[in-house]
Amino acid sequence: MQGVKKGHRVLVTGVGVVSPLGPDLSSNLRSLLEGRDAVRLVEAFDVTKTRCRTAAQIPDEWMEGALPRRRSSDRSHRGARMAAMALREACEAAKGPTPELIVVGTTSGGMSFGETYYRRLLAAKSRKGLARLVGNYTPQKSIHDALEANRLRIPAQIVANACSSGTDAIGHGFELVRHGLRTCVVCGGYDPLCELVFVGFDSLQAATPEKIRPFDKHRSGMVLGEGAAFLILESERYAAQRGATALAEIVGYGISTDTYHLTQPNPSGIGPKLAMQRALESGGLAAGAIDYVNAHGTATVFNDATEGAAISELCGRVPVSSTKSMMGHALGAAGAIEAAFSVLAICQQFLPANINFNEPDPAWEFEIIGNVSRAARVNYALSNSIGFGGTNATLVLKRV
Amino acid sequence: MNFFIQGIGAVTSLGPTALETWRSLCRGEQAPRRRITDGLADRQYFSCPVPGKFVGEAARQPRLRRSGTLSLLGAVAGFDAVSDAGLKPGSGLGDKIAIVFAICSGGVNYTRRFYHEIVTQGANRASPLLFPETVYNAAASHLAALLDVDERCYTLVGDSSVGLSALHFALELLLTRPELDRCLVVGTEEADWLLADAFASWRMATNKDQFEVYGRTCGTIFGEAAAAVLIGRTGPLEISGSSPGRPFFSVRDSESVADELFGNFSAEGSPDIIVSSANGTFADVVECKVFSQRYPSLPVYAPKPAVGEPLGAGALLQVALAGLALRFQQLPGTLCAGRKLPSVNRETRFCAATKALITCVGFNQQVNAVKLRLI
Repeated sequence: MQGVKKGHRVLVTGVGVVSPLGPDLSSNLRSLLEGRDAVRLVEAFDVTKTRCRTAAQIPDEWMEGALPRRRSSDRSHRGARMAAMALREACEAAKGPTPELIVVGTTSGGMSFGETYYRRLLAAKSRKGLARLVGNYTPQKSIHDALEANRLRIPAQIVANACSSGTDAIGHGFELVRHGLRTCVVCGGYDPLCELVFVGFDSLQAATPEKIRPFDKHRSGMVLGEGAAFLILESERYAAQRGATALAEIVGYGISTDTYHLTQPNPSGIGPKLAMQRALESGGLAAGAIDYVNAHGTATVFNDATEGAAISELCGRVPVSSTKSMMGHALGAAGAIEAAFSVLAICQQFLPANINFNEPDPAWEFEIIGNVSRAARVNYALSNSIGFGGTNATLVLKRV
Repeated sequence: MNFFIQGIGAVTSLGPTALETWRSLCRGEQAPRRRITDGLADRQYFSCPVPGKFVGEAARQPRLRRSGTLSLLGAVAGFDAVSDAGLKPGSGLGDKIAIVFAICSGGVNYTRRFYHEIVTQGANRASPLLFPETVYNAAASHLAALLDVDERCYTLVGDSSVGLSALHFALELLLTRPELDRCLVVGTEEADWLLADAFASWRMATNKDQFEVYGRTCGTIFGEAAAAVLIGRTGPLEISGSSPGRPFFSVRDSESVADELFGNFSAEGSPDIIVSSANGTFADVVECKVFSQRYPSLPVYAPKPAVGEPLGAGALLQVALAGLALRFQQLPGTLCAGRKLPSVNRETRFCAATKALITCVGFNQQVNAVKLRLI
């Protein structure tokens, strides 16, 4: 490895998103501006026995043609389709970047193929087609399919830091470019909905049978979502050399590990607070510079209490929203999708809504943006992710 | 900037530490095979399990009380590497250390138990105690808590080459974060009937109790293991080359990708020994062709016939064994070696080696390599 050169500016030159709010960046922007609610009854598997029966899902029709038409593509997981679509959009937006590496966050990859495999074993059906399921369920396979579909033969680092995965993937890519180890990296996350994870959150009573209401006094839990998002990160010099246009700049990344409990955050809020502090320090910023916080905001009692305490203590009366209120929690993809939404907030100078919000929780000082998005000056946006295992990660993005 | 392996740790079916595993391998021992069956189907397989007594002390930690095998193994190997470096957990170590875990299939046992409850008893009966341990980063989270690490802790997933990607990721962390003194890289994997059955249906696993490497490719046997290396900024064993890996999109494609990547590691001088990933699958064919052309006279050691294929732990176990081979100037003999690779090392012997190449052809489209140099 070469020695480290510090201080390269890291520009975002391309963004691609597929989420329940839309199959591309512009449709996601429209949905964010409208405050659209994409949460529906789950159709992919049986939910008659769970407390929560809703999630935000991507219609399969949106992903037709995401992979090249050939036999091997038929075997691929729908996660590969999401990833391929978002990756293509990001690369096209960046107008021909030549990334050296892809860093991707996910939590469950192609787990639904594992579920199908197990159900077929239980039903003692023939073994025909099982190899297809095994070969395509692993988290890295969908990314390799997406790379192949986009004619990119580059190394892939797959980060599985639970719900912080997407943010950590972008954070790692950011640090590689900032320190001169890479000039161009694709970063992001993908996570398709699956039964095992859906029931998992339901069994922990973290999922709600009601609407998802982040930061509401009467919040009762999360709903799941799915999706994929990728950001093209380039050093300023490389972007200038090839005439790329910057959409935003990433200026800070912070990470912390809260060792309090595997599934419960330390109620003091020290985990997310440390991640935010470290991200601000990494960007050389004071908390007062932040114009918008895209919160992790899962709407569980514990998450919002912890994150709320941290934001309140650190940032005071900053405007905050959780875009999960519109599209649920996309787990390993959430941080990447929310970073993409933060880029949109910066580019379009608006604050995304926090829908289904009725009553503020008096515990916090910050301003919940509420049910309607609004125009605002956004020079700096901060995006939080918090996950199982005590993983906390924060990105700071800047207007260019 | 140079980085060094300061501590080596492992727990395998052959021993509760890297050193005990090493001694067993040098004596030519093979891990005991256990027949694994399941009520789901009448197919049976063999695996190389880690005896419960090897993880007994870790299992007594309150934090690990309900955790799966994966987390227990990871903790044992991580502590072994820290101890091998002459360090003590809890003595301020956590302040300047990062953790990177390498996982392939994850907590298969807890995952299948949880999903079995969903399918057979209904989603409303699935145990909330099982679900958290199905999450890929559970093992890393536990070790971070035990070592008091409050900042950088990552889990990387991939195929059997993921350990080498994790090692490279760790070097990237050390390069970009000068305030970090060390990074502990841990690979861990458990063996389960479901894993063996799945890989058998993919024609990658065998139902026999042995498999040959560099001979007939009829599938592998899974082994439980964890391996760890503690990387720092000083030490006697330099990581002189690493890579994030290269993807290949078909088996046909894998040979040229491997040839290019493995060849890059001889640019600054040829290695003296190779510790390979041969496991009775197409990986052997790929390695055999590349080694025969690029390194025809280098002794090749393949540890997997002895300990089984430990997937997420596999590549880091190769690194650990290569490090010990350089430290002790001894190379174990490869068990169950076929005739297709003449340079395979068949008997334990003295070797005056200072450079080792560790190669891995993963099951699922990733090739990687690492080079070590004894200072």
